[in-house]
Order: sequence, then structure tokens, then C-alpha cells
Amino acid sequence: MKAEMVDRQAEMAALVRFHQAGVWRYLRYLGCCPVEADDLTQDTFLAVFRDGFEDRSSEQTAAYLRTVARNRLLAVRRSRKKAPEVDLEAAEAVWAETVGDRGMDDYLVALEDCLEVGVTPRVRRALELFYRDRLSRDEIAEQLEMAAEGVKTLLRRARSVLRECVERKLGS
Amino acid sequence: MNEPHDQLCDELRDRLLDQALRETLGAESPPDLSDRIIAAADEQTAVLPQPKGDGVMGKTKGRRWVWVAIASTACLLVGTATALLLPAVRASREAARRSVVSNSLHQLGASMHNYHDATQTFPSPRYTNDGAQYASSDDKLRLELENRLNREMKNGMRRYAEPAAAGHVHSVEGPIGPSVLPIVNNPYPIGQDTEGPFRQPLMQGSGVQYNRIAGPGTIPSRPGYVAQQNQPRALAFSPDGKIVTGTVNVTGDISSPGSVQLPVDSLEILETHAFHDRRTEDQDTVANAEAADETRSAVPLLMRGVPLNRRSAERLARALEVLRKYNIESGQGPAEGGDKYVRLVENPFQAVKDHPLSTFSIDVDTASYANVRRFLLQENQLPPPDAVRIEELVNYFDYDYSPPTSDVPFASHIEVAECPWAPEHRLVRIALKGREIQTNQRPASNLVFLLDVSGSMDQPDKLPLLQAGMKLLAGQLSENDRVAIVVYAGSEGLVLPSTVGDQRATILDAIDRLNAGGSTNGGAGIELAYKVARENFIKEGVNRVILCTDGDFNVGTTSTGALERMVEEKAKSGVFLSVLGFGRGNLNDAMMETISNKGNGNYAYIDGITEARKVLVEQMGGTLITIAKDVKIQVEFNPTQAEAYRLIGYENRMLAAEDFNDDKKDAGEIGAGHTVTALYEVVPAGGKVDLPGVDPLKYQTEPKKTRNKERAGELLTLKLRYKQPDGDKSDLLEFPVTDGGEAFSKASPDFQFAAAVASFGMLLRGSQYQGMSSYDAVLEIAQSAKGADKYGYRAEFVQVVERAKPLGEERAALIEEARKVLEAAEQSVEHDQ
Repeated sequence: MKAEMVDRQAEMAALVRFHQAGVWRYLRYLGCCPVEADDLTQDTFLAVFRDGFEDRSSEQTAAYLRTVARNRLLAVRRSRKKAPEVDLEAAEAVWAETVGDRGMDDYLVALEDCLEVGVTPRVRRALELFYRDRLSRDEIAEQLEMAAEGVKTLLRRARSVLRECVERKLGS
Repeated sequence: MNEPHDQLCDELRDRLLDQALRETLGAESPPDLSDRIIAAADEQTAVLPQPKGDGVMGKTKGRRWVWVAIASTACLLVGTATALLLPAVRASREAARRSVVSNSLHQLGASMHNYHDATQTFPSPRYTNDGAQYASSDDKLRLELENRLNREMKNGMRRYAEPAAAGHVHSVEGPIGPSVLPIVNNPYPIGQDTEGPFRQPLMQGSGVQYNRIAGPGTIPSRPGYVAQQNQPRALAFSPDGKIVTGTVNVTGDISSPGSVQLPVDSLEILETHAFHDRRTEDQDTVANAEAADETRSAVPLLMRGVPLNRRSAERLARALEVLRKYNIESGQGPAEGGDKYVRLVENPFQAVKDHPLSTFSIDVDTASYANVRRFLLQENQLPPPDAVRIEELVNYFDYDYSPPTSDVPFASHIEVAECPWAPEHRLVRIALKGREIQTNQRPASNLVFLLDVSGSMDQPDKLPLLQAGMKLLAGQLSENDRVAIVVYAGSEGLVLPSTVGDQRATILDAIDRLNAGGSTNGGAGIELAYKVARENFIKEGVNRVILCTDGDFNVGTTSTGALERMVEEKAKSGVFLSVLGFGRGNLNDAMMETISNKGNGNYAYIDGITEARKVLVEQMGGTLITIAKDVKIQVEFNPTQAEAYRLIGYENRMLAAEDFNDDKKDAGEIGAGHTVTALYEVVPAGGKVDLPGVDPLKYQTEPKKTRNKERAGELLTLKLRYKQPDGDKSDLLEFPVTDGGEAFSKASPDFQFAAAVASFGMLLRGSQYQGMSSYDAVLEIAQSAKGADKYGYRAEFVQVVERAKPLGEERAALIEEARKVLEAAEQSVEHDQ
């Protein structure tokens, strides 16, 4: 009985380690802030363990975890009488189509690749200032010596280029 | 109907990208919640059974309290550790990535080593224009190696992207050892840096960039360009500068008078321990282990099997660095790294008896000269050799050729005189002059400007210059013309719907409203531009899309191949495409030239308002009105008169002899009033020319020379084929040419000036055929042959040459010195042998 418990715990630990990043990223994508994503990732796994989950394949598990995560998010939003930030069903469809059940790793690799070859150093700088350093458009404009409106369009265009590049890579 | 849904999906895709960008750019990464979740799960398991009985209940409560305490402590610890480790996370990611990449490259190197063992040669760095087609089994191996590398890298990335069991710091198997870099397709891989003399300094980013085979999103090679010549076969390096393997064969067309032939034809640098480990791991046999031991004891640096001391090695490295710096390196101009040029291999001399026919397509582009001028006058530096297309330099200038008098759309003018840089040779100038069309007789035009207003255009020499140029053009339009403006950035694709040319205020207002920024991709923009052009099609008029960009066109959206096909297809429907290039830093010279060719248009580079005026106002007719298309030239040389010949320039316009009569083969267009000049350097019969001979044929007799006395005296016959702008069938013109034995000084000023420009182009390219060319000679000829020079372009050419002279001479001196170092090393090695 005790050995069974230990096995079960090891299995749970392995499952968490393997899938937690995917669930966390999925929740961030659905509009959770990092702290909320932490909490809901935990809730998701707990709900799965509670229901006596059987790990058949990592793909099936990933899909199941996403469904649970969505439900948890919906429950939290409802309890606060708020609507989710995105249309959850549509979001899941896009995720399933683009990222699939294997997690976001391929997407990240493709993106790194596209960032290497697809954008100029200036655009890369703008992206870093925006995403990493979280500067406002005005602050970025000041650093890059351009108009704030220009930053907006620069980022929009860069994102469009990167998105197409990544999706093409994933598609091929 | 599906629009709202599509928009929603679009937004969601953007969200996904946002998430990936946050992570990739280092703003956040998924935390390791394992301990926290397991602790909470344990607590949950403990709570779930809910057995009856106070005592037990009490126990459960106590246990719960303990778990809460443990969970809180764990959270606290994880939080603190995360905060402490955040700066380290990035560094460790980098380190992990380095390690993965190095391991992958190591694998590649090992594969090459094995390949060498099996075949006694390294895989060829050759690849074809089409990334999917590999020319030989070597290339298959390259593909395999490349795939392996990509796979390894991807696996490595995945490993590091997964949260590691040990905690938040991502660890990757394997030591962070010496990174062994494969150098493939790089003409000059040896450089010097702070870590040692023999490490390739070009490694950038993830390291796969330069190693990738041309495919969608990369720049297509020009026809005729195969990057196999004179390149090292394979080389691997380690940061400590001594663990290197491979064989470098470096010879070739490096800039210097008469071309530098690098004497280092076998610089062998052998690897020591890095490969040893991999080999013994991979091939666990006694024989291989012994072979590996042999490798391990090899000398760090060898030249033709002779060890070199460190000092010689360093000198050699410096010399090679000089040669590398001044050498042809696609996509790496001496200006900003982003400009893209495709390597041009100069046309060699051809023996008349083996190749009596020379066939090429005309080219009226002038972009290369404007680009060269900008390098020299504005940036005071020499252009990269591949940015210099000699025919475009020569064709930039107006020549006083008389226009046709008959129905034929152009007149031809042929002149033969002494070749100024090789007096024993003859120089043949073939010139065409297109029919001139007076501005008031210009056919109605339907113009659609397709403007790049992306962020990168937001520089004074880009969008503002383009606006000024368009205003000049707007001043030329009449009530018969229509103009529309499509931008491929921003939410509004169509800035100016097709508007009648005399509504100047509307047009100018639209031009003024343009500002840089936006996100629509080039592919979508060009579709819209063609749509607008089609909707406003003027039968028997000029229908043209004019693409204006700094070269950031279409990055990562549509493949170049697909774009070329589309442009070609639209040209057939009567809508032609011209390209105006702007700015520097991002200039995709190669692609712009290619698509303008496919679109039956021309490509001009606008480096200032003067050039804008030249292209859009003075030569508006030539720019807009095509008077003949698919113009091909075929020259048949007479073996009685000529031993060998060489076409100067037009490297990327060469056609096969049979293409001349094939009306399906696309070729260049000629616009109203355009002049086209082509120069042949001809070695007279009996003259000396160093050509590798061909063995006599076994089953055929050689073609006999003509006995017809009249024909025997002719030097060559010029044949021209062209189609009417809306025609499908070509017409043929033929002109026999006889050499009158003219001296260069007696030649026409136009001939002399064209020769001077060609000579200058060869100097800039560091051509091996430049002979006695010198900047002084170019200046002297250009000044004396300036002629009327209505617009001052020839005077400006003199300025350009004056600016190039000190730079070019300095470069030549450096190269000469480097060459001497290499020769000395070679001699010393020979002596030791």
C-alpha cells in the first residue's frame, strides 16, 4: 500500500514536471497574469489528481490538462462575475492548430530562428525594449529616436512578420 | 461572413506570439511549481479520505497544519530562489544554448571527418539555386549534415526549454566544451580574433545562419552563380585556436591588379582532442581508437604538411583576414551587414573555335552605378565587389547614339577599336538606341505605386526622398494618365485610389500624407497593387506597378520564388513592374533586380533627388514606356579574325545559344530613348590567350572556316531578337561587323567614355582581366571624353573615380602585402619540404 503511494507520488511529480510549463504558458496565453497562472496551474494539476487521472500519452494528457485549465479559469472568472479575457473555445482552437499537443517548444525554437534571420537589429531592439524591458511606446520612441506612432507600427509589422515566419516554419 | 471569426483568430495568434516573445526575449519563463504542487497534492490526498472519529480527525487537522506550513515554506523558498536566480537564469540559458550548439556543431564536424575518412575528400560546399535540388551526392551529404545539425539544435533547444527536474535553472547534458564550428560555403574562413588566429569571426547568433541552404525567405542565387569556385572545403575551429580540421583551398579572383592567386593551396590545420572524444565514443573499435590517437598527436597547424610556428601562423592569419575583408562575400558589404548582394563571377575568355556564339539578354538597369556612387561620394568607401555590375555602370550614361529611322524600335551602332587596358586586344562596342517618344506623344499611363512605408523607411534618404521624387513625377502627369498609391504597411492599403493625372492637388495631398509605419506584408500589398492596375487597365497604354522599397520587401512572408512567378504571370497580362530602391542597411539588391527582370521592368537605385529626377522626369519615357521586350543579343565570332572573346559585365544575363531562338525565354526590355551598351574584349586571331584547351573530338571533324572571301574579313555578326511590347513572336535583325583597325585615340568619345567606365568597374571589382587599367588612366580618358555632358553625369563620374582612387590604391597595396606574406610562407614551406 505504501509502495503504491510512493509510486503514485513519483508519477504525479513526473507529470507535473513534464507538463507544468505548458499549462502555465497556456494560462498566460488565455490572459492570466503570472501570479494567477501560477495558482491556476496548481489548481489544474490538483483537479486532475483528484479525479484519478490516467496518463495514457503525453499528447492526450496535454489536451486534457488544457481543458481542465480552461474550466478552472472559467470558474475563477465566474466567481468574480467577470468574463474571461478571450473566447476560450476559439483560443483553444488556435492553440491546437498552431502549437498542438506537443507544447510550445517547437514554437519557441521557430521564433528564435525567425528572430535571428527575419528582423533587423533595430527591430529586435524595439522588441526587447517592449517585451523584456516593458517600456512604453513613448520611451521606446525616445530610445530609438523615432516617433511614437512609428514604434507602434514598427512593432505591429515586426509581429506580423514573425508570426508568419513562425507559422510557416511550423507548417513546413 | 467569416471575417469576425478570422479577426478573432488573428488576435489569438498574436497573443500566442506575445507569449512566445515574452519568453524568448527573456521577460519571463514558466516557474518550477513542482514542489508546491506536490505538496498541495499530498495535502489534498490527506484531506480526501475524511475518516470518522475525533482522534483521527484531530490528527488530520494537525497534519493539515503541518502541510500548510511546509507548503508555505516551500513557496517562500521557491520564491526567494527564483528572485536570487533570475539574473543567473538568463546566463545559464545562454550557457546551455552554447553547449547545445557546440555539441551539435561538434557532431557536424565529426560527420565531416568520417566522410573524409571514407572518401578522402570533404563534402563540397556547392549548392544549386533551388534550395531543394542538390547537384551531387556531396550535396546530399550536406543536406543530411544540415538536417542533423538542425535536429540536434532543435532537440537541444527543447531540452533547455523544458523545466529541469533540479529546479529553475535549466541544465543541459554535456559539458560546455570548446565549440567546434563548421565553416561551409564561406570563401575565407580564417581570421584572427582575441582568442587566436584561426577562428572564424563570422559566427553570429545561433550559428546556423550562414550555414543554411538557400530556400524560402533567403536570397536566390542569380542564374549562373554556383558558389563552388575557389572555396575551402570544410573547416572546424575551437575557441582556443588550435583544434581545427580540414583543408583550405584558396585561390581566385581577389581584388588586386592582375588578380591575386593565393599561394596557399593546401593549408591543413589538424584537429587534436576535440574529435578524438567523439570518434572513440561513436566508433568503438580498436582500429578507430588508434586512428583517433594518431589525430590526437597531430601538429596544431600545418601548411602542406609542414608545421608552422605561431608567429608565421599569425602573420598568415592577418594576411588572410585582409584578403577576406576585401573579398567577395555575399551579403556582407563593407557598409552595413544587412545589404544583400549575390556573388558575380566574371565572364571568362572563351575560345572562338569552341564557343563561336555569345548570347545574352540586354539590361537597361542603372541601379548599380547609383549604388556605387553613393558608397563613394556619400560614405567614402569602396563598394563591395558584388555591388558592381559593370553593364549597369556603362548603361547609366547617355550616349549620343542616333535613334532609329525605320519602323524598327531601336537602332544599333557598332564600333571596334583598340582595347585601352590590353592594347594587343580589340574592344567591340555594341550599342542599341531605343526609339524616342516625345513627352506629348507619350501613351496614356496607368501607374500604381506600391510603396513600402514600413518602419525601416522612416529615414531621410528613404520615404521623404521617395515623396519628393513622386511629386516630381506628379508634375509630369496629364489628364490621360492615372495614378494610384498602395502602401504595404498600415491598415489602409490603398492610400490613393486610381486618380486622373491632372488632379494634382489630390495626388500631392496623398503623397504628403504618407508616413512610415504599418504591418501589411509585401505579398498582400503587391496583390492589391496589381488588382488596382488591372481594374484601371488602359489598352495600348502603359500599365505599370512601381515598387518603391528599401529592400525589406516581403521578409518572411511570401517566398521569393512565389513572388517571382506572380510578377512574371502579371507581366504576361500586360502589367509590368519596375523597382526603385532606396537607402542602405537593408537593401536587397539581388531580389529587386530579379523581380524587376521577371516583371518586364527596370530597377533603379535612388540615392538622391538628382537621381529621382533622372529616373522619374528626364528618363520618364524610358522608365515607363517599353518599346521592345525580350531583347536578346547573339554574336557570332569569326575564327579567322578572332581567337577568343570576353563579354564585359552582363554576368547574370547570359543565355544559352539555343535560348536566342526560343521565344519562350524571357529577356530584357528596352524603354523609349533608352541606350544599351555592351563591350566585348576580343583577342585577334593568332593572339595569345591562356585558355584550358579541349581535346580534339573523336567522332566529329571540326567545323571548317568559311572560304567566302567577303565573309572571311568580318570580325563578327551581331544578331538581335526582340518582340513588340504586346507581341509574342520575335523579329530578327542581323549586322555583320568588320574591324577597321582603329586606334583607341581615334575612337568616338562615347566609345572612349564607355571603355573608361568599364575599366573603372573592373578596378572596383578587382577583376583579373583589368590588365593595365588604373584609376589615373580612367580619369584621363573620362575627362577627355566628357563630350557635351548635358546633365553633368560624366563630370560627376570623374568625381566618383577621384574619390575611389586613394581607397582603391590603398586596398591594392594591402592586398599586395598580404599576397607577399602568403608567398613567403609558401616558399618557406617549400624550402622545409
